[in-house]
Amino acid sequence: MTPNICFYFQVHQPYRLRDLRITDIGHGSEYFDWQKNHDVFRKVAEKCYLPANALMLELLKKYPEFHVSYSLSGVFLEQCNEYGHDVLDSFKKLAATGKVEFLAETYYHSLSAIHSIPEFCEQVAMHVRKIEDLFGQKPQIFRNTELIFNNEIAHTARMMGFRGTLAEGADHILQGRSPNEPYAPPEFYLPEDKYWNVIRQSFPGVYPPKKILVLLKNYKLSDDVAFRFSDRSWIGFPLRAETFTDWVIGSGGHNINLFMDYETFGEHQWKDTGIFEFLRKLPELWQERGIRALTPSQVLDDWEKKTQGPAEQEHLKKEAASILAALSALWKRPETVQSPLELQEKTFDAHLSISWADTERDLSAWNGNQIQSAALRALYELEKYVKASGNEQLIRTWRLLQSSDHFYYMCTKYWNDGDVHKYFSPYESPYEAYRRFSHALCDLRSRLHL
Amino acid sequence: MSRLHTLMFGWEYPPIHLGGLGVACQGLVRGLMKNGVKVTLVLPHPDADREGDLDILFPTEEMIEHMHIASMLSPYDSAQQYYQRVKNIPRERQQIYGEDLGQAIANYSAASVEMTKDVRPDIVHCHDWMTYEAGVRAARYHRKPLVAHIHATELDRTHFSPNQWIYDRERWGFEQADRIIAVSNYTKQILVSHYGIPAEKITVVHNGNNITRDIDPEAIHSEYRKNHPPMVLFLGRLTLQKGPHQFLEMASAVHGIRPDVEFVVAGDGGMLGELINHSLQLGLQNNIMFAGKVSNDEAQKLFAQADCFVMPSLSEPFGLVALEAIAQGTPVIISKQSGVSEVIGHAFKVDFWDTAKMADCVLTLLREDPLAWQLRSEASRVLDRLTWEHQAMAVRSLYQQILHS
Repeated sequence: MTPNICFYFQVHQPYRLRDLRITDIGHGSEYFDWQKNHDVFRKVAEKCYLPANALMLELLKKYPEFHVSYSLSGVFLEQCNEYGHDVLDSFKKLAATGKVEFLAETYYHSLSAIHSIPEFCEQVAMHVRKIEDLFGQKPQIFRNTELIFNNEIAHTARMMGFRGTLAEGADHILQGRSPNEPYAPPEFYLPEDKYWNVIRQSFPGVYPPKKILVLLKNYKLSDDVAFRFSDRSWIGFPLRAETFTDWVIGSGGHNINLFMDYETFGEHQWKDTGIFEFLRKLPELWQERGIRALTPSQVLDDWEKKTQGPAEQEHLKKEAASILAALSALWKRPETVQSPLELQEKTFDAHLSISWADTERDLSAWNGNQIQSAALRALYELEKYVKASGNEQLIRTWRLLQSSDHFYYMCTKYWNDGDVHKYFSPYESPYEAYRRFSHALCDLRSRLHL
Repeated sequence: MSRLHTLMFGWEYPPIHLGGLGVACQGLVRGLMKNGVKVTLVLPHPDADREGDLDILFPTEEMIEHMHIASMLSPYDSAQQYYQRVKNIPRERQQIYGEDLGQAIANYSAASVEMTKDVRPDIVHCHDWMTYEAGVRAARYHRKPLVAHIHATELDRTHFSPNQWIYDRERWGFEQADRIIAVSNYTKQILVSHYGIPAEKITVVHNGNNITRDIDPEAIHSEYRKNHPPMVLFLGRLTLQKGPHQFLEMASAVHGIRPDVEFVVAGDGGMLGELINHSLQLGLQNNIMFAGKVSNDEAQKLFAQADCFVMPSLSEPFGLVALEAIAQGTPVIISKQSGVSEVIGHAFKVDFWDTAKMADCVLTLLREDPLAWQLRSEASRVLDRLTWEHQAMAVRSLYQQILHS
């Protein structure tokens, strides 16, 4: 069986803070560095968004079995509006091919799923509306900020009406199982008052599906492209499209999920690494070898066709199950023989939150030290006051401060003494990030008269 | 291969030392011995701490008088201060040694070579400009490679208005040496841009530390701070290089927003009077204390009591004092124009002239306890990594590299 490919690209830009000072607090100062945000956006647009979208458009038109999906954060789309109509138009052109699926996420690329369920619901609903407005399609699949995922988030997304969600194929949860097929979270019910009543407010009239399936990132193959592509010390260097396709086929399964930042193309991996030529080559090779590149929804359609079959055969399946159970008492089935029962989704049970960040693949990139915890606590403590103020401007500002990037910049995990150059941040240090952020919060508090 | 033997020319050495040079020299000597290198150290005075199989050579009785005079060439003098100091020497002695710096250095150099005739070193290593001529002569005499170690340049001490004679001595030493060790990339850059030395001739070996941490800083902090207003500390010689005026500017900005904050300026130096005047002009008289020169124990206590330590140096080749503050669990704000900022990750780093931002960092630290705790808990790891034993290993490797090339 040839596996399907599922390409999903994350597209996001935060609003970076300016060099706020204590003397700015209480004087109606601007928090964000508009010049810097503009400059970064234009730089990435020229290096990545525009050339990558042009290439995608060409590939989507040329290869009938090539589909892709994107998650564009709300703050990214706002920056498109401010700094790059050309970028937005190029995404609209992709949408017009009918071969691109747009996923839902939190509008502000926030950690609200962990810190406030009502805020989480409002932001997802905002994002769904934005995507519908811009691209004329209602997202069916949810992906949370930085692939942050746990069982509660999966079921919350289900109750919002999503049929699928995305997660990291974390080894400690897969326990040796393949990430290359859809999984399901364990079945349980979330407390009605804390979840369902809250969800309904943001998603009125929603009819939750019975189950939600989880597509898991194949992090080995994804990171071969996203992180290792131009790494000269890597044994796979230089990575050719042919080799990569061999690896994909060798990986097997139903669907291989290649999830990565869109900035991989042209920004993280520069043009001169050959990343665009690599990408250009893939659909052609895949077509030759009978691999389809599907969107997450198409992957789930395909999977359901295989697992469910026609409804009238449902009783046959049950009979087969009982016969098999009886047989297995007599005959030990070799592991190489697949049981028809295995076409049920296996359980992906994330009691604790996972994410796609760092080797830890947990929340420690955003909430792993004292300054991060303090900043998050202080920010979400303001929720009730901000919302009670009814001031749209204040609510928006508070939400812009929720972007996960602000907390990521405060991460000290890899901030080794004397080895600071690897750090990816617009600020000089995690402490500088906290200094600016804490001033913004102080100012916000003063605007709320707290 | 027999044991590596380095002939080292130092200027000051504990317990008799004025500044960082003596401490660094001792740290390096100990580190090299731990790395199996034999060290013969030449000093202008006989009072150095001895240990292990360290050979210390110093001038014989008849040379002592010369040496005392030579000791006036304090590496920390500005040209003007040197002139003032020399003027206080009785006229008759002045005429012999005092104003003729060249002669004093020549005496030291000649004596030092004389003393090392029986030594059989593999390499010669000299520290800062006062010893360069001695090093060059000894290297020529023994026909061995010369390493010139630079701990501070004349440009650091004078904020880029050097005494031309000293500057020329430094540059001559750099040119004569086979290899140069700079205590930071910051210093290396100065040698490249201001002395015209090729970058590939210079190896950076950051200073190590052997600071002991036998107290629990967190306990001291919480205990002390219960009953005291916030305190911000300056500790260093009161000279242009250390940026005490910048500290006062910062203090004034902090005072405008948090009048409860106290400032302590610890250290001695020629600028004390003008600094007191400056602090009065800024209206800081009720919030600032000039503590004068403090002992090592007193310094440790001040670090432990301070809410943050500010090192606003205009040009600091290394800046060990920031590591001493960190060892006492004190968050630090350091000048970007310093070598130590290359090794400390967990700190605020500010341009020395940006006193407004410096003040903002202080105020943020005083307002945000989690920030202070985070810095306190992370910063001290650098001390374990940056030991003299480890840094001396880099020096030993450099020796071997030179000897095998």
